[in-house]
Amino acid sequence: MIGAAFSVTLTSAQRGDETAFACLFRDVQPALLRYLHVITPEAEDVAGETWLQVVKGLPGFRGGEEAFRAWLFTIARHRAVDAARSRSRRSDVPLAVTDEVTGQPMAPDAAELALEAISTRSVVALIKTLPRDHAEIIMLRVVAGLEAADVARIVGKTPGAVRVTAHRALRRLAELAERAGVTH
Amino acid sequence: MPGFLFPGRPGGEHDEPLLDMIIARRAIPPDAPQPMHDLARMLAALAGPAEPGELAGEAAVRAAFCRAASPASISAAARRPGRRRRITRSRRPARSRARLATALVVAVAGLGSVFAAYIDVLPSPIQQLAHVTVAAPPPPSSGLPRTDTTRTRPATRATDRPGQAGRGSHHSTGPAQVPGQVTPTPNYTPYPTRSPGRPTAEPSCGPSPGHSPSPRPKPSGYPSPPPWYQAAQCAGIPTGPAGQRTLNPSGPLSRTPDD
Repeated sequence: MIGAAFSVTLTSAQRGDETAFACLFRDVQPALLRYLHVITPEAEDVAGETWLQVVKGLPGFRGGEEAFRAWLFTIARHRAVDAARSRSRRSDVPLAVTDEVTGQPMAPDAAELALEAISTRSVVALIKTLPRDHAEIIMLRVVAGLEAADVARIVGKTPGAVRVTAHRALRRLAELAERAGVTH
Repeated sequence: MPGFLFPGRPGGEHDEPLLDMIIARRAIPPDAPQPMHDLARMLAALAGPAEPGELAGEAAVRAAFCRAASPASISAAARRPGRRRRITRSRRPARSRARLATALVVAVAGLGSVFAAYIDVLPSPIQQLAHVTVAAPPPPSSGLPRTDTTRTRPATRATDRPGQAGRGSHHSTGPAQVPGQVTPTPNYTPYPTRSPGRPTAEPSCGPSPGHSPSPRPKPSGYPSPPPWYQAAQCAGIPTGPAGQRTLNPSGPLSRTPDD
């Protein structure tokens, strides 16, 4: 999070300052890419499309840092949905990690997870084993740092449902991590 | 509802504040269960700084940003509304010119029609309409008598020439007259003036079959015509509005009874 300097950075970026825009990019891009890795197999492509749309809409954006993040992750989710639709039209592309037919998460290879040290990639792989809505809400609440109301608007649920789902997902994640030995 | 005990969910009543603290990235108490500490470390790693490769797309995104913020793109974007303005400007005079041309055509047609009506060259129905609307001369075959304006052209018509007035041609302006019957002339005053110097009544031009031999009494307001007037009428010399003639199918030109 940029913090108090966000408004100055945003204004400079809106005036065409490339350095200010790079500051925004470096602040949000890691969380964006991790979030997209959870919800789509084409995370890099979707992230690039998201930033292109952000560049187009940046001069007209008004709001603070949380609003900027909420706007950016909303764009990313829409682009991910579009990518999933185009992917479903192509028969030669394999499905995502989550079993989209049954809706049940595919069990991770515990031995493989145990071999890895605790890292961002291993945690992302573990979160991807959760149900889709649980994983997405965890990523938006914890990684993107959005409030429950913003997450509720993005995923189409009530703030209370988001909070309950986040709690359930974190409990389930703690169980999976303890079983896989990721944190030990 | 924080603190509410959910039956059938072991530990659920205790971990919700801790989970909220983990989500908010706040430090959890040291006496919290070990799985909560592990979970907090996992999520802290998940929200950590960028790893190698995660900023690989920065160059492409910055290039796109520079393209969008470059003066060329700005000028291109600025040209678009200008182009629209030019189109708007060029369309607006076209519409105005079309309206002006239409107005001119209508005006010319209207003036030309009025002029044609006044020189009496229009077909009879149209001439009649012009007579009613713009006070143009009545058509020759209508039942309405001509005004002074039509009589300002002496001897230009065959019936107006001396010696041809008694043929009963189509130039006779009076309607077919039943003997003893008054010619209906609605909305028209056949005798617009009552000046003493102009005759307002005229006698019959010679005897005609079916015509009343005895002249009807003149209204008190109309004086008798002078002696020269009757002779001029019989000779076909125009005598003004008082010299109204009617078409008598059975005989020569006859005069309308003046009443």
